[in-house]
Amino acid sequence: MVTHPDLVPTLGARRAVIAYLAVFGAVLLLMMALGLLMRLNQGALVTLPPEIFYQSMTVHGTGMVGVASIGGAAVLWYFLGRYVRLTTWVFVLNLLTFTVGAAMILFADFVGGFAAAWTFLFPLPAKAGGQWEQWAAMVHLGGLLLIGTGFLLFHLDTARAILGRYGSLTRALGWPSLFGNDPEPPPPTIVASTMVLIVNTMGLVFGASVLVISLINLVVPQFTIDALIAKNMIYFFGHVFINATIYMAVIVVYELLPEYTGRPWKPNRPFLAAWTLSTVLVMVAYPHHLLMDFGMPHWLLILGQIVSYVSGLPILVVTAFGALMIVYRSGLRWDLAAGLLFIGVFGWAAGVVPAIIDATIIVNSVMHNTLWVPGHFHTYLLLGQVAMVLGFVAWTGKTRASQLFNALAFWIFVAGGIGLTQSFLYAGRLGIPRRFAEYLPEWIGQARIGAFSAALVVIGTVMLVGPLFIRLNRAMAVR
Amino acid sequence: MAEILNLIPSFRRIAMGAGLFLVLAAPSLREVLEQDMTRHMLIQLPFLVLAGWLLIPAAAASCRFVVIWDRFGIAGILTANLAAAYWMLPRSLDNAIALPVFEIAKFISLPLLVGVPLGCCWPRMPMLGKGFVMANVVSMLGIAGWLYLAAPVRVCVFYLSDQQEAVGRLLLCLAGAISLAVLFCAFVGFRPSAARTA
Amino acid sequence: MMRSLFLALTVAVIAMAVFGSATEGFRVFTTEGARRYAVEQAPHQLPAVTLEDQDGRSFSLDSLQGRVVLIEFIYTRCPTVCSALGDVFARLARALPGTVLLSISFDIEHDGRAELRRYADSHGADGDEWRVARPVHGQDLGPLLDGAGVVVIADGWGGYQHNAAVHLLDRHGRLVRILDFDPLSVLIDEVTPWLKS
Repeated sequence: MVTHPDLVPTLGARRAVIAYLAVFGAVLLLMMALGLLMRLNQGALVTLPPEIFYQSMTVHGTGMVGVASIGGAAVLWYFLGRYVRLTTWVFVLNLLTFTVGAAMILFADFVGGFAAAWTFLFPLPAKAGGQWEQWAAMVHLGGLLLIGTGFLLFHLDTARAILGRYGSLTRALGWPSLFGNDPEPPPPTIVASTMVLIVNTMGLVFGASVLVISLINLVVPQFTIDALIAKNMIYFFGHVFINATIYMAVIVVYELLPEYTGRPWKPNRPFLAAWTLSTVLVMVAYPHHLLMDFGMPHWLLILGQIVSYVSGLPILVVTAFGALMIVYRSGLRWDLAAGLLFIGVFGWAAGVVPAIIDATIIVNSVMHNTLWVPGHFHTYLLLGQVAMVLGFVAWTGKTRASQLFNALAFWIFVAGGIGLTQSFLYAGRLGIPRRFAEYLPEWIGQARIGAFSAALVVIGTVMLVGPLFIRLNRAMAVR
Repeated sequence: MAEILNLIPSFRRIAMGAGLFLVLAAPSLREVLEQDMTRHMLIQLPFLVLAGWLLIPAAAASCRFVVIWDRFGIAGILTANLAAAYWMLPRSLDNAIALPVFEIAKFISLPLLVGVPLGCCWPRMPMLGKGFVMANVVSMLGIAGWLYLAAPVRVCVFYLSDQQEAVGRLLLCLAGAISLAVLFCAFVGFRPSAARTA
Repeated sequence: MMRSLFLALTVAVIAMAVFGSATEGFRVFTTEGARRYAVEQAPHQLPAVTLEDQDGRSFSLDSLQGRVVLIEFIYTRCPTVCSALGDVFARLARALPGTVLLSISFDIEHDGRAELRRYADSHGADGDEWRVARPVHGQDLGPLLDGAGVVVIADGWGGYQHNAAVHLLDRHGRLVRILDFDPLSVLIDEVTPWLKS
């Protein structure tokens, strides 16, 4: 069994990773611009027609999930390629299907007017009330299906490569070391990639099923599905898929902090136990999205609450603790990438606190339809997941920009991120509803703070990914 | 399953396949199996496929002609998938009962166009392809199960609506069982031979 | 590799052709759908069988030519679909005056004149515009059902399941449409043009 990186990525593989990061940066900025626009509208600083607001919300939600996955996939693939032989064409195919799917979704939403949010809850796509045509719903769902197919192939390829080297998922998860005495556990990257491939394959199979069912329902309306079963399937898929983006991105922390400090990240028993535990827990925690559905069996909701408390926590604790241990008195020389990685772990940890509060049934019944919810997921996605991927972007570039520029970009991004998430959480505490295009006058103040912060985030992100595009040509040609 | 079958000597496999086919073709058994939608779809059809799988010698999978024309087994698996999908159409199922031509076509096409390509091409298919096919089979079984349960009318004129619901539920169970089996295989460990060559 | 790709594409094209012809160009997926599509494309006469109605009057299907006829197939003991069909016909009788409504029982073992009478009375069939009938000769039943494409199977509880629908005969006695009885408004819209022509 191998602990140290031993494979060198080929030129084609590196180019593919750069292409991923370019798409990540471009789509991320576009989605952020839409987010800013929505916040400006809520703050009454610009006036959008309501249908444009909801189309933007649909694109923003769907697109951000997709772009987080693309960023996470780039991280996972780059570092997993150090240990096992991956297939470059599958990786590139996934980027192509994503691009085509994203274009389909943009077209369906902004031209076709589809605005049923990322959740496409049954039977909403078929019951547009005149807001969009049937074809728009079909193109949107078709785009999602295409993106899902690409990711399924991507994870299957990682499965093939991991099984080829480790023989079984149990060994790739490090069970011989966890339950036995094997002194050489697989590296953290293998463990994390294995966990992600298990949960995402399950999620994608359910997601594809409910997408096809929704498509059939659009064509033949007589075929219906129980709306609550559909919601369960959609949220199982959505919950697993978005959580997996974090578990993919965190690989960059496992790989780069050791590089910065010269101290290896060797998985110990708690580390392996945490990842194994979360593999199961992340799949059974999804009912916390359905706490407001009184039709759900109570035991499932209670299970959802209990599991939510512990589902993300084990990995978070071992990661945060491990990161601190590695950095503590290591003489680490801080640069942009290291800073972003550290903020990433911090943002993830910070986001889990409001998440756990929201997963409590008593709280959820009053908080779930408020801005508290966007508050918590923006914390661990924007300040957590995206920060980690941006750290990876900075690291691949070893940017030549001046220290001052980098520091400025970093602090603008972080300040904007904190401002945005805090404005959401504060608004949630006041009970301001989410998904409202128009606000009462007394809600406008926080929306303006949010809009200002969102603008900072956009500026910071432009400064962080800008250098990537400047050197894109060179990277494609020379590396 | 596949490995166990491959261990059996060729002639005995072929004899088993031919025997199975003849038993299935026996008029009395045919009538019993086709009387009920569940038995028709979930016993007769799969066993016809199995008969085809048994009928070809294990060496056929690596014969030169096959390898040249279908390197990764994609065309073969595609053929098997589409031919199987044809017999999932409610209309085809009805036709097989109503018209002898279709019944004969069923008895020829399932072993020949599903069983044989599966036996020939599945072992050669790369793991990426296998995984993709399995994931599709699971979601398609799930969707088909739901379709049979959700259909507002009887989809086959020769079968009762409660049989249709039973088929729907069984298809859902089958999807679950296959997922569990795949997970179990991946967790407990792949066949050592596959792990070494992959 | 090119050869493999070529072969896979060929398989896909052939399969498309086969599926296309099996589903009449991806229009129908069930036998019921195929039966309706076939009738729409090529209307045909039903066999001119002799029927007797709830009042014991014998008549041939032929004798109804010149009128628009709606036929449903029933059995009088049916607790579910046939009584829904009965209600549909009762409402059609009011909504579409001038059409002949014909409920034909396929359960000739059980449904004698008395049973037909009872069914007619309970649903309000007047015996004139709406007649409840059965084939006089047992051997006529098979050809009649085949002609309409109706399949009747025993449900194991002493009753039957069958593809329930409303069969529309134009003034020339040709079976021109097979229609769902639900929703009623759509059914009425489909039948109305045939009354004018």
